[in-house]
Amino acid sequence: MALEVMARADSPIPLDVAFRVEPGELIALVGHSGSGKTTLLRSIAGLWRPETARVAVNGTTWLDTAARVDLPPHRRRVGIVFQNYALFPHMTAAQNVMAAMDTADYAEAERVLDLVNLHGLAHRKPAHLSGGQQQRVAVARALARKPHALLLDEPFSAVDRATREKLYDEIVALRAHLAMPVVLVTHDMNEAQFLADRMVVIEKGHVVQEDTTARVMADAHALRAMGIREVAAMLPAVIAEHGDDGLTRLDAPTGPLYLPWIDAVPGTGLRVRIMAHEVILSRAFPDGLSAQNIIAGTVTRIVPGAGPGVMIHVDVGGHEILARITRRAAEQMALQPGMTVHAILKSMSIARDHVVRAPDAASTAE
Amino acid sequence: MDWTALWLSMRLAGWTVAVLLPVAVLMGRFLAYRSFGGKGLVEALVMLPLVLPPTVFGFYLLVAFGRNSPVGGLWQNLFGHQLVFSFEGLVVASVIFNLPFAIQPAQRGFEAIPAEVREAASCCGMSPLASLWKVELPLAWPGLMTAMVLTFAHTLGEFGIVLMVGGSIPGETRTIAIAIYDRVQAFDGQAAAIMSAVLVAISLFTIALTYWLSARMGRRLS
Amino acid sequence: MQTNRSMPVLLARFAALVLGALPAMAQDDRPVVAAASDLHFAVAEIAEAFSVETSMQVRLIFGSTGNFSRQIREGAPFEMYMAADESFVAGLHAEGLTRDEGDLYALGRVVLVAPNGSSLTPDESLDNLAQMLAEGTITRFAIANPDHAPYGMRAMESLITKGIWDDLQPVMVLGENVSQAAQFALSGNAEGGIIAYSLALAPEASTRGTYALIPEDWHEPLRQRMVLMNGAGEVAEAFYAYMQEPTAREIMERYGFVLPENE
Repeated sequence: MALEVMARADSPIPLDVAFRVEPGELIALVGHSGSGKTTLLRSIAGLWRPETARVAVNGTTWLDTAARVDLPPHRRRVGIVFQNYALFPHMTAAQNVMAAMDTADYAEAERVLDLVNLHGLAHRKPAHLSGGQQQRVAVARALARKPHALLLDEPFSAVDRATREKLYDEIVALRAHLAMPVVLVTHDMNEAQFLADRMVVIEKGHVVQEDTTARVMADAHALRAMGIREVAAMLPAVIAEHGDDGLTRLDAPTGPLYLPWIDAVPGTGLRVRIMAHEVILSRAFPDGLSAQNIIAGTVTRIVPGAGPGVMIHVDVGGHEILARITRRAAEQMALQPGMTVHAILKSMSIARDHVVRAPDAASTAE
Repeated sequence: MDWTALWLSMRLAGWTVAVLLPVAVLMGRFLAYRSFGGKGLVEALVMLPLVLPPTVFGFYLLVAFGRNSPVGGLWQNLFGHQLVFSFEGLVVASVIFNLPFAIQPAQRGFEAIPAEVREAASCCGMSPLASLWKVELPLAWPGLMTAMVLTFAHTLGEFGIVLMVGGSIPGETRTIAIAIYDRVQAFDGQAAAIMSAVLVAISLFTIALTYWLSARMGRRLS
Repeated sequence: MQTNRSMPVLLARFAALVLGALPAMAQDDRPVVAAASDLHFAVAEIAEAFSVETSMQVRLIFGSTGNFSRQIREGAPFEMYMAADESFVAGLHAEGLTRDEGDLYALGRVVLVAPNGSSLTPDESLDNLAQMLAEGTITRFAIANPDHAPYGMRAMESLITKGIWDDLQPVMVLGENVSQAAQFALSGNAEGGIIAYSLALAPEASTRGTYALIPEDWHEPLRQRMVLMNGAGEVAEAFYAYMQEPTAREIMERYGFVLPENE
């Protein structure tokens, strides 16, 4: 039930992309606006046809310009969540969901709405729902279609930050129920890093990099297309205990991590995104610092950047932390692969939306 | 009070609306969704009856459908009487003359539907027909309603075209507007006043009823 | 889906109401008689008498002679045509649209009228009119349109004879037909006008103003001719014959018409 996509075009924007998504996998198409990612998504849905393209799911060909096959969207088993949700304003949430079903089934609609945490709101019209609630209805409607491929077009861009955090958690939880390939279009690296198993970085319609999330996020060349400030590493951690002073202690592969209070019970699995430019390095264990998080590790790679910066890859207990420091500092410290360094991280510098729940049963393909 | 004339006017307005409703849906939708070379010209043609005086229109209709035209000859052969100066002729004239009143508001109604909503309908598995029935028509109804009201009210008040194309044949083409004109010429001011008042009352009622229905529709959508 | 269930129902009900009345409107077999506007009251009375006497009915339309002539050429389904000037009948006959040459049924007259309260005093020499015109106290004067209404043509000829046609131009108001001219002339918005004698004599109009007969030799005669059209049926024929019988003729005389053999 894999999704195979190939698309090539010259106008209205240049496009030359090919990728494959396995069932249950979530792939993120990332790029700036105008890079062609949304156009690509619309091609998969059948809302646009590139000059040369092929889209096939589960062995069924939806689009093949060479063979003159082009199924209209209503003949493709596709579920799509639009950026502005595109809910039917004259229908209630339940009716919106039923609209996507082959046979309208109110009980089933309620079940799907429960799945996206909209219990009790089935009778409300979109005008009486908040942005986040509308978002969930849109997801429910896409799922009610029993799609062979699920497409999300920047679904969180119209929502405020607090709601977005909650939605990330919910999507991660939802993935356990999703057996089909999922394609997420986003310009937000944070989002991509949290939600995606693999990433396809697109710039001006061309694929700059396609790989697992971890490797893409560590690849300076790929990230140059996105903006170098986005480089970050993901560390898995488990909540150990909540302190009285507003800090939560997490157990990470590298030792304890202290972060501002996280609203979850001890034992909850999390992933923490650590921005490379927030990490300070020290060869010796530093003493008397204010920073609460000091993690020991080994230098694995030193990758110079175009400007004064250099990216240090540090292995910590089988996982990787990235640190971006000046080349001068690296030279002063005489850093070499194989050396022991300490990564220093302020508790306060880890933003709330850089912490997300770990998927329950799903494994991040690494 | 000329009840025959009033009934004739209502029938004329009713038939005009009945013929123009599917036209409004199809043409309004087509013009709302598609962009093509020459679209401006088509829209201008649709608007033409609004700017041309009824007499000009009446003149051209007589030329096109009158006794000496191919259409007129064909009609005579088929039905034994002329298309002009008959009720059917009035319907034809009325339909053409009301095209802008029917198509324009309908087009606006369909234009108001966000493209994404229509795309969503398609991606939900709805065929174009299902999408029209379940999504587009419910959302475009206010525009269609306006189109039908305007057409109905406008037809009730039509005078110049009816007179030129239909004459003033009692029971056939003498609408209430013409009957009023006729009563004035007969120095029957009282009859003219009564019929005028009835016409105004009906028009107001029609318009009020439709705005009420439209408001109800609007509340349902939000 | 609740949202549009009531809409189709409402529409269907409305449609049934308006369209389904077709059986109720039985085909109207009564022949249509197109008569010049000056005959408005006279022929209406005659048709009433006709239906009482014979139980047969006609549908009457009144308008300008010239206009009817044009409509007949365009295919109007009239079965009988009563013109205010025989030249129009002759024209249609020449095109083969009429059954025959028709019959002269009346000779008409024009009158000068002034509504009650007008400063104009009708006199048969039109002197008062000429005087007021010279003084500039005529603001509006109504006649039928000379282009297609015979009574308008006669009014014009009379005014030319009097020599005041040109001077009246700036204040002239033209009626579509002589009935409309009468409307304008007696409404109080004009000082007066020249209209058909038959209209001035009608009860509805006579109470609204005063009139004076304009001398016959000031204009061409109003030789009014009627004719049956091709395809005229029995009822039209009966009415045509009725027009030439005593009851109808007596009514016509009451309305100021001169009957042909009484010339």
